[in-house]
Amino acid sequence: MNIVVNGENKDFPEKITLEELIQQLGVRKETVVAEVNRQIIQLDKRAGLNLAHGDQVELIQFVGGG
Amino acid sequence: MTTTLEQIRTQDTYQINGKTFTSRLLVGTGKYPTNELMGECLEASGTEIVTVALRRVALDKKGEKTLLDFIDPKKYTLLPNTAGCYSAEEAIRVAHLARATGISDFVKLEVLYDEKTLLPDPIATLEATTILVKEGFTVMTYTSDDPVMAQKLEQAGAHAVMPAGSPIGSGQGVLNPNNIRIILEKLKCPVLIDAGVGSASDVAMAMELGVVAVLLNTAIAHAKDPLKMAYAMKNGCEAGRLSYLAGRIPKKLYAQASTPLKDF
Repeated sequence: MNIVVNGENKDFPEKITLEELIQQLGVRKETVVAEVNRQIIQLDKRAGLNLAHGDQVELIQFVGGG
Repeated sequence: MTTTLEQIRTQDTYQINGKTFTSRLLVGTGKYPTNELMGECLEASGTEIVTVALRRVALDKKGEKTLLDFIDPKKYTLLPNTAGCYSAEEAIRVAHLARATGISDFVKLEVLYDEKTLLPDPIATLEATTILVKEGFTVMTYTSDDPVMAQKLEQAGAHAVMPAGSPIGSGQGVLNPNNIRIILEKLKCPVLIDAGVGSASDVAMAMELGVVAVLLNTAIAHAKDPLKMAYAMKNGCEAGRLSYLAGRIPKKLYAQASTPLKDF
Protein backbone atom coordinates (compact mmCIF):
# COMPACT_ATOMS: atom_id res chain seq x y z
CA MET A 1 0.00 0.00 0.00
CA ASN A 2 1.01 3.57 -0.60
CA ILE A 3 1.88 5.90 2.27
CA VAL A 4 3.09 9.45 1.79
CA VAL A 5 6.09 10.11 4.05
CA ASN A 6 7.39 13.68 4.18
CA GLY A 7 5.77 14.33 0.82
CA GLU A 8 7.26 11.23 -0.89
CA ASN A 9 5.14 8.29 -2.08
CA LYS A 10 6.41 5.08 -0.51
CA ASP A 11 5.29 1.48 -0.83
CA PHE A 12 4.78 -0.57 2.33
CA PRO A 13 3.33 -4.00 3.17
CA GLU A 14 -0.38 -4.18 4.00
CA LYS A 15 0.01 -4.28 7.77
CA ILE A 16 2.41 -1.77 9.23
CA THR A 17 2.34 0.31 12.39
CA LEU A 18 3.79 3.79 12.66
CA GLU A 19 6.58 2.47 14.86
CA GLU A 20 7.48 -0.18 12.26
CA LEU A 21 7.47 2.42 9.49
CA ILE A 22 9.85 4.66 11.44
CA GLN A 23 12.08 1.65 12.10
CA GLN A 24 12.06 0.55 8.44
CA LEU A 25 13.05 4.02 7.29
CA GLY A 26 16.04 3.92 9.62
CA VAL A 27 14.97 7.07 11.46
CA ARG A 28 15.99 7.40 15.10
CA LYS A 29 12.68 7.14 16.90
CA GLU A 30 13.60 9.08 20.02
CA THR A 31 14.58 12.27 18.19
CA VAL A 32 11.66 12.40 15.81
CA VAL A 33 8.14 13.76 16.14
CA ALA A 34 5.50 11.99 14.07
CA GLU A 35 2.26 13.25 12.58
CA VAL A 36 -0.28 11.11 10.78
CA ASN A 37 -2.81 13.05 8.73
CA ARG A 38 -1.82 16.19 10.66
CA GLN A 39 -2.41 14.59 14.07
CA ILE A 40 0.62 14.35 16.35
CA ILE A 41 1.15 10.76 17.53
CA GLN A 42 2.97 10.51 20.85
CA LEU A 43 5.93 8.15 21.19
CA ASP A 44 4.02 5.58 23.26
CA LYS A 45 1.10 5.44 20.80
CA ARG A 46 3.15 4.64 17.69
CA ALA A 47 3.30 0.87 18.18
CA GLY A 48 -0.49 0.63 18.42
CA LEU A 49 -1.25 2.72 15.35
CA ASN A 50 -1.89 0.75 12.15
CA LEU A 51 -1.37 2.83 9.04
CA ALA A 52 -3.78 2.75 6.11
CA HIS A 53 -3.37 3.22 2.36
CA GLY A 54 -3.01 6.91 1.51
CA ASP A 55 -2.05 8.05 5.01
CA GLN A 56 0.10 11.14 5.16
CA VAL A 57 3.00 10.73 7.58
CA GLU A 58 5.28 13.57 8.61
CA LEU A 59 8.52 12.86 10.47
CA ILE A 60 10.00 16.00 11.96
CA GLN A 61 13.16 16.66 13.95
CA PHE A 62 15.18 19.51 15.41
CA VAL A 63 17.63 21.20 13.09
CA GLY A 64 19.77 24.30 13.46
CA GLY A 65 17.88 27.58 13.53
CA GLY A 66 17.98 31.11 14.85
CA MET B 1 32.61 44.48 51.82
CA THR B 2 33.55 44.88 48.20
CA THR B 3 31.39 43.08 45.69
CA THR B 4 33.44 41.00 43.32
CA LEU B 5 32.81 40.67 39.61
CA GLU B 6 32.00 37.01 40.17
CA GLN B 7 29.32 37.91 42.72
CA ILE B 8 27.78 40.44 40.35
CA ARG B 9 27.74 37.84 37.58
CA THR B 10 26.18 35.05 39.61
CA GLN B 11 23.67 37.19 41.48
CA ASP B 12 22.46 39.12 38.45
CA THR B 13 19.86 36.65 37.25
CA TYR B 14 16.58 37.02 35.40
CA GLN B 15 13.52 34.87 34.94
CA ILE B 16 11.37 33.86 32.02
CA ASN B 17 8.05 32.38 33.14
CA GLY B 18 9.56 31.39 36.48
CA LYS B 19 12.72 29.77 35.10
CA THR B 20 15.94 31.47 36.21
CA PHE B 21 18.86 32.25 33.90
CA THR B 22 22.24 33.92 34.36
CA SER B 23 23.65 34.23 30.84
CA ARG B 24 22.07 37.10 28.96
CA LEU B 25 23.09 35.86 25.56
CA LEU B 26 20.74 33.54 23.65
CA VAL B 27 22.36 31.88 20.67
CA GLY B 28 20.93 30.28 17.56
CA THR B 29 22.14 27.00 16.08
CA GLY B 30 21.68 27.72 12.36
CA LYS B 31 24.16 28.46 9.55
CA TYR B 32 27.33 27.06 11.16
CA PRO B 33 29.87 25.41 8.84
CA THR B 34 29.75 22.28 11.03
CA ASN B 35 27.78 21.05 14.03
CA GLU B 36 31.05 20.48 15.91
CA LEU B 37 31.96 24.16 15.55
CA MET B 38 28.44 25.13 16.58
CA GLY B 39 28.83 23.13 19.80
CA GLU B 40 32.14 24.85 20.57
CA CYS B 41 30.63 28.27 19.87
CA LEU B 42 27.69 27.65 22.20
CA GLU B 43 30.15 26.68 24.92
CA ALA B 44 32.33 29.75 24.29
CA SER B 45 29.35 32.10 24.29
CA GLY B 46 28.33 31.00 27.78
CA THR B 47 24.73 30.78 26.60
CA GLU B 48 22.05 28.89 28.52
CA ILE B 49 19.22 29.16 25.99
CA VAL B 50 19.66 28.02 22.39
CA THR B 51 17.18 28.35 19.56
CA VAL B 52 16.45 25.39 17.31
CA ALA B 53 14.13 24.82 14.37
CA LEU B 54 11.93 21.92 13.29
CA ARG B 55 12.09 20.45 9.81
CA ARG B 56 11.25 17.22 7.99
CA VAL B 57 13.70 14.37 8.49
CA ALA B 58 15.79 13.87 5.33
CA LEU B 59 14.89 10.26 4.51
CA ASP B 60 17.96 9.79 2.30
CA LYS B 61 20.31 10.59 5.17
CA LYS B 62 19.24 7.91 7.62
CA GLY B 63 21.52 7.12 10.52
CA GLU B 64 23.32 10.47 10.36
CA LYS B 65 23.90 12.43 13.55
CA THR B 66 21.19 14.90 14.41
CA LEU B 67 21.37 18.31 16.01
CA LEU B 68 20.65 16.84 19.44
CA ASP B 69 23.90 14.85 19.22
CA PHE B 70 25.67 18.20 19.53
CA ILE B 71 23.42 19.98 22.04
CA ASP B 72 22.73 18.50 25.44
CA PRO B 73 19.15 19.43 26.39
CA LYS B 74 20.12 18.94 30.05
CA LYS B 75 22.73 21.67 29.74
CA TYR B 76 20.83 24.12 27.55
CA THR B 77 17.21 25.21 27.55
CA LEU B 78 16.00 24.56 24.03
CA LEU B 79 13.97 27.36 22.50
CA PRO B 80 12.28 25.95 19.39
CA ASN B 81 11.39 28.60 16.85
CA THR B 82 8.55 28.86 14.38
CA ALA B 83 10.79 30.34 11.70
CA GLY B 84 9.43 30.08 8.20
CA CYS B 85 5.78 30.21 9.33
CA TYR B 86 3.60 32.74 7.55
CA SER B 87 0.32 32.22 9.42
CA ALA B 88 -0.80 31.79 13.03
CA GLU B 89 -2.03 28.26 12.18
CA GLU B 90 1.35 27.14 10.85
CA ALA B 91 3.20 28.63 13.82
CA ILE B 92 0.84 26.94 16.29
CA ARG B 93 1.34 23.60 14.51
CA VAL B 94 5.12 23.92 14.76
CA ALA B 95 4.85 24.85 18.46
CA HIS B 96 2.77 21.72 19.05
CA LEU B 97 5.34 19.57 17.22
CA ALA B 98 8.13 21.09 19.28
CA ARG B 99 6.34 20.37 22.54
CA ALA B 100 5.63 16.80 21.40
CA THR B 101 9.38 16.13 21.53
CA GLY B 102 9.00 16.29 25.30
CA ILE B 103 12.14 18.41 25.52
CA SER B 104 10.82 21.94 25.87
CA ASP B 105 7.61 23.91 26.24
CA PHE B 106 9.40 27.13 25.31
CA VAL B 107 8.64 28.61 21.92
CA LYS B 108 10.24 31.46 20.06
CA LEU B 109 7.19 32.58 18.19
CA GLU B 110 7.78 34.23 14.86
CA VAL B 111 5.08 34.64 12.27
CA LEU B 112 6.51 36.30 9.21
CA TYR B 113 4.83 38.47 6.60
CA ASP B 114 7.18 38.44 3.62
CA GLU B 115 10.36 36.70 2.59
CA LYS B 116 12.40 39.73 1.61
CA THR B 117 12.17 41.69 4.86
CA LEU B 118 11.36 38.77 7.20
CA LEU B 119 9.32 41.30 9.14
CA PRO B 120 6.68 39.81 11.42
CA ASP B 121 2.97 39.83 10.63
CA PRO B 122 1.78 41.72 13.72
CA ILE B 123 -1.84 40.57 13.60
CA ALA B 124 -1.02 36.87 13.13
CA THR B 125 1.73 37.14 15.75
CA LEU B 126 -0.71 38.54 18.30
CA GLU B 127 -3.28 35.85 17.48
CA ALA B 128 -0.74 33.03 17.85
CA THR B 129 0.66 34.50 21.08
CA THR B 130 -2.81 34.59 22.64
CA ILE B 131 -3.52 30.96 21.73
CA LEU B 132 -0.13 29.51 22.72
CA VAL B 133 -0.15 31.30 26.09
CA LYS B 134 -3.59 29.78 26.80
CA GLU B 135 -2.21 26.37 25.83
CA GLY B 136 0.48 26.61 28.49
CA PHE B 137 3.55 27.35 26.38
CA THR B 138 6.30 29.67 27.52
CA VAL B 139 5.97 32.15 24.70
CA MET B 140 8.82 34.43 23.67
CA THR B 141 7.54 36.52 20.81
CA TYR B 142 9.59 38.04 18.00
CA THR B 143 8.20 41.40 16.93
CA SER B 144 9.19 44.63 15.24
CA ASP B 145 10.37 47.49 17.47
CA ASP B 146 6.90 49.06 17.50
CA PRO B 147 6.16 50.04 21.13
CA VAL B 148 2.38 49.69 20.67
CA MET B 149 2.72 46.13 19.31
CA ALA B 150 5.08 45.25 22.13
CA GLN B 151 2.43 46.35 24.65
CA LYS B 152 -0.29 44.38 22.87
CA LEU B 153 1.87 41.25 23.02
CA GLU B 154 2.48 41.71 26.72
CA GLN B 155 -1.26 42.14 27.29
CA ALA B 156 -1.81 38.89 25.36
CA GLY B 157 0.36 37.15 27.92
CA ALA B 158 3.72 36.83 26.14
CA HIS B 159 6.35 35.73 28.66
CA ALA B 160 8.99 37.74 26.83
CA VAL B 161 8.75 40.29 24.05
CA MET B 162 11.62 40.29 21.58
CA PRO B 163 11.84 43.28 19.27
CA ALA B 164 14.23 43.06 16.32
CA GLY B 165 17.15 45.48 16.47
CA SER B 166 17.15 45.44 12.67
CA PRO B 167 16.11 42.88 10.02
CA ILE B 168 16.98 39.22 10.70
CA GLY B 169 20.52 38.36 9.64
CA SER B 170 21.23 41.93 8.46
CA GLY B 171 23.94 42.75 11.01
CA GLN B 172 22.84 46.38 11.17
CA GLY B 173 22.67 46.51 14.97
CA VAL B 174 19.95 48.32 16.90
CA LEU B 175 18.64 50.90 14.43
CA ASN B 176 16.12 52.64 16.65
CA PRO B 177 17.30 52.68 20.25
CA ASN B 178 14.57 55.15 21.15
CA ASN B 179 11.83 52.66 20.29
CA ILE B 180 13.59 50.09 22.48
CA ARG B 181 13.76 52.66 25.31
CA ILE B 182 10.02 53.30 25.01
CA ILE B 183 9.29 49.55 24.98
CA LEU B 184 11.41 49.10 28.12
CA GLU B 185 9.57 51.96 29.82
CA LYS B 186 6.15 50.49 29.02
CA LEU B 187 6.64 46.74 29.53
CA LYS B 188 7.03 44.78 32.75
CA CYS B 189 7.79 41.41 31.12
CA PRO B 190 11.33 40.62 29.95
CA VAL B 191 12.33 42.46 26.77
CA LEU B 192 15.08 40.93 24.61
CA ILE B 193 16.68 42.18 21.43
CA ASP B 194 16.22 39.46 18.85
CA ALA B 195 17.87 39.75 15.45
CA GLY B 196 19.98 42.24 13.57
CA VAL B 197 23.04 42.19 15.81
CA GLY B 198 26.33 42.20 13.87
CA SER B 199 29.15 42.56 16.37
CA ALA B 200 30.04 42.50 20.05
CA SER B 201 29.63 46.28 20.28
CA ASP B 202 26.06 45.92 18.98
CA VAL B 203 25.34 43.50 21.83
CA ALA B 204 26.96 45.82 24.37
CA MET B 205 24.91 48.75 23.12
CA ALA B 206 21.69 46.74 23.27
CA MET B 207 22.47 45.63 26.82
CA GLU B 208 23.26 49.24 27.83
CA LEU B 209 19.72 50.17 26.84
CA GLY B 210 18.55 47.86 29.63
CA VAL B 211 17.15 44.90 27.75
CA VAL B 212 17.17 41.66 29.70
CA ALA B 213 19.14 39.73 27.07
CA VAL B 214 20.12 39.55 23.42
CA LEU B 215 19.38 36.72 20.97
CA LEU B 216 21.64 36.28 17.96
CA ASN B 217 22.72 33.66 15.45
CA THR B 218 24.21 34.86 12.17
CA ALA B 219 26.67 37.28 13.80
CA ILE B 220 28.53 34.31 15.30
CA ALA B 221 27.83 31.61 12.70
CA HIS B 222 28.90 33.74 9.73
CA ALA B 223 31.81 35.56 11.37
CA LYS B 224 35.21 34.85 9.76
CA ASP B 225 36.14 33.08 12.99
CA PRO B 226 32.90 32.01 14.72
CA LEU B 227 34.63 30.77 17.87
CA LYS B 228 36.43 34.07 18.49
CA MET B 229 33.18 35.93 17.81
CA ALA B 230 31.35 33.70 20.31
CA TYR B 231 33.83 34.79 23.01
CA ALA B 232 33.53 38.40 21.86
CA MET B 233 29.73 38.25 22.11
CA LYS B 234 29.90 36.81 25.62
CA ASN B 235 32.22 39.61 26.73
CA GLY B 236 30.28 42.29 24.87
CA CYS B 237 27.09 41.12 26.55
CA GLU B 238 28.63 41.13 30.03
CA ALA B 239 30.29 44.53 29.44
CA GLY B 240 27.01 46.03 28.27
CA ARG B 241 25.10 44.61 31.21
CA LEU B 242 27.64 45.86 33.75
CA SER B 243 27.76 49.25 32.07
CA TYR B 244 23.95 49.46 32.31
CA LEU B 245 24.01 48.47 35.99
CA ALA B 246 26.87 50.88 36.71
CA GLY B 247 25.03 53.83 35.13
CA ARG B 248 26.72 55.92 32.48
CA ILE B 249 27.66 59.59 32.89
CA PRO B 250 25.39 62.09 31.22
CA LYS B 251 26.53 63.39 27.82
CA LYS B 252 27.69 67.04 27.94
CA LEU B 253 28.26 69.56 25.18
CA TYR B 254 31.52 70.95 26.59
CA ALA B 255 34.68 69.45 27.97
CA GLN B 256 35.12 68.79 31.67
CA ALA B 257 38.74 68.37 32.71
CA SER B 258 39.69 65.08 34.29
CA THR B 259 42.77 66.63 35.87
CA PRO B 260 42.57 69.59 38.30
CA LEU B 261 43.61 72.72 36.34
CA LYS B 262 44.52 74.92 39.33
CA ASP B 263 47.20 74.90 42.05
CA PHE B 264 50.32 74.24 40.02
